[in-house]
Amino acid sequence: MNKLIIPLIACIACAIVVSVTAVSVRSEQNLNIENEKKVKILAAAGIQTDKIDEEFSRIKTVFVDFETNKLVTTEPAYDHIKAASNPNLSSVIPKADDIAVLKRRENIGTIYVWVDEKNTIEKLVLPIRGYGLWGTLYGYLSLDSDLNTVRGIEYYDHKETPGLGGEVDNPNWKSDWYGKKIYNDDGSVALYVTKGASSTDYEIDGISGATLTTNGVSNMIKYWLGDNGYGPIIKNLNEEIEKI
Amino acid sequence: MKAIPAKETKKLLFTPIIENNPIALQILGICSALAVTIKMDVTLIMCIALTSVITLSNFFISLMRHYIPDSIRIIVQMTVISSLVIIVDELLKAYAYEASKELSVFVGLIITNCIVMGRAEAYAMKNPPIKSMLDGFGNGLGYSFVLLVVATVREIFGNGTFFGVQVMPDSYQVNNFLLLPPSSFIIIGIMIWVIRSFSKSQVEEDENPLKAHTFKPLRVKKEVQSG
Repeated sequence: MNKLIIPLIACIACAIVVSVTAVSVRSEQNLNIENEKKVKILAAAGIQTDKIDEEFSRIKTVFVDFETNKLVTTEPAYDHIKAASNPNLSSVIPKADDIAVLKRRENIGTIYVWVDEKNTIEKLVLPIRGYGLWGTLYGYLSLDSDLNTVRGIEYYDHKETPGLGGEVDNPNWKSDWYGKKIYNDDGSVALYVTKGASSTDYEIDGISGATLTTNGVSNMIKYWLGDNGYGPIIKNLNEEIEKI
Repeated sequence: MKAIPAKETKKLLFTPIIENNPIALQILGICSALAVTIKMDVTLIMCIALTSVITLSNFFISLMRHYIPDSIRIIVQMTVISSLVIIVDELLKAYAYEASKELSVFVGLIITNCIVMGRAEAYAMKNPPIKSMLDGFGNGLGYSFVLLVVATVREIFGNGTFFGVQVMPDSYQVNNFLLLPPSSFIIIGIMIWVIRSFSKSQVEEDENPLKAHTFKPLRVKKEVQSG
């Protein structure tokens, strides 16, 4: 018994030191993560800058109610990712509609809009997420002023295999999204990740060895830009934005 | 506690760099040497992280060495090492976020780095704390030396930059192979060759030499065909 005392004390001491360190640097880490998200939002819209906060002051953050498909106001610190796991602020997605395997969707979503002096939209960024192969991919999709052309896509958190599904971070692949169209003439979501090279405006190059990840990407585009996601609000965002 | 003679301090600190390098001679800790040597700044942070972990882990394990029961010594060593690694990881996430994203799992993998475990088991369990600390620091320097050389070659010839600053002329065609992990195998191999051709004592004896004339040419019997 005596022999175990020192190892036991060592364990307790290690546990205390680790937890004290973790707690004391938590706020710094959160700042870094917030900053990273902002960088990714800007990157999705094709903006690279060191003056993140300055660029962010040009962005109008609007909130959309997915039930009524109207823009609503809420507290500025609202976090749609946290809301999605809160039963009071989110709702269960019916199985048939849940193509991106989200289980719950927040009631109020966030959209980042760049507007000019006349309150017309220059570009916008939509948060998207969906299940890939190993876990949920979190990212941003940016659209142009016509609300149909893609400006860029950027994932800020995923658990896909490095080198295969992890290639969603590959700049060459991301650059293939630029200029692609979301909706076809019927107004339904037509953009998807194909196998092999893309040939039309509605196709994105496939990633070899990452079929399940790219299916997940296609599904999340279909879900979030479809009728259950941002689809309805995007179609009359120009009128809605005038009201705010 | 006796003061350590200057000569021994020097020996502890500097022999692991060339004469007894943990990577080049003992061939330990190769994994991170392959993975994190693309850019100098990231490599430097990895080297600092590993050196601080190995120095402190050797010190603390040596402090407790008389009180660790033999049968659970590896577990105790792991506890100390992994706590230190978690602390380093948390600090990197707070103060060097970009680098910690690029290092990703490799900071966590310091826990299983053979050099850290090896020095704890082979040296710190048998020697007093200050000496162990110097030994850990020396081995950290040895590891850093190899990593920094590999990263220098890979960044300059693979990316044309050094610490992110363009050093090669624009006409230089970058060698993409150097950005892939296997290239470090070749660079480390060349390093080992160079080191061993200067200090012959490091050359290992050939454990399984080929015997002379073991190859007998086959004689095909011609009678089979005629029969």
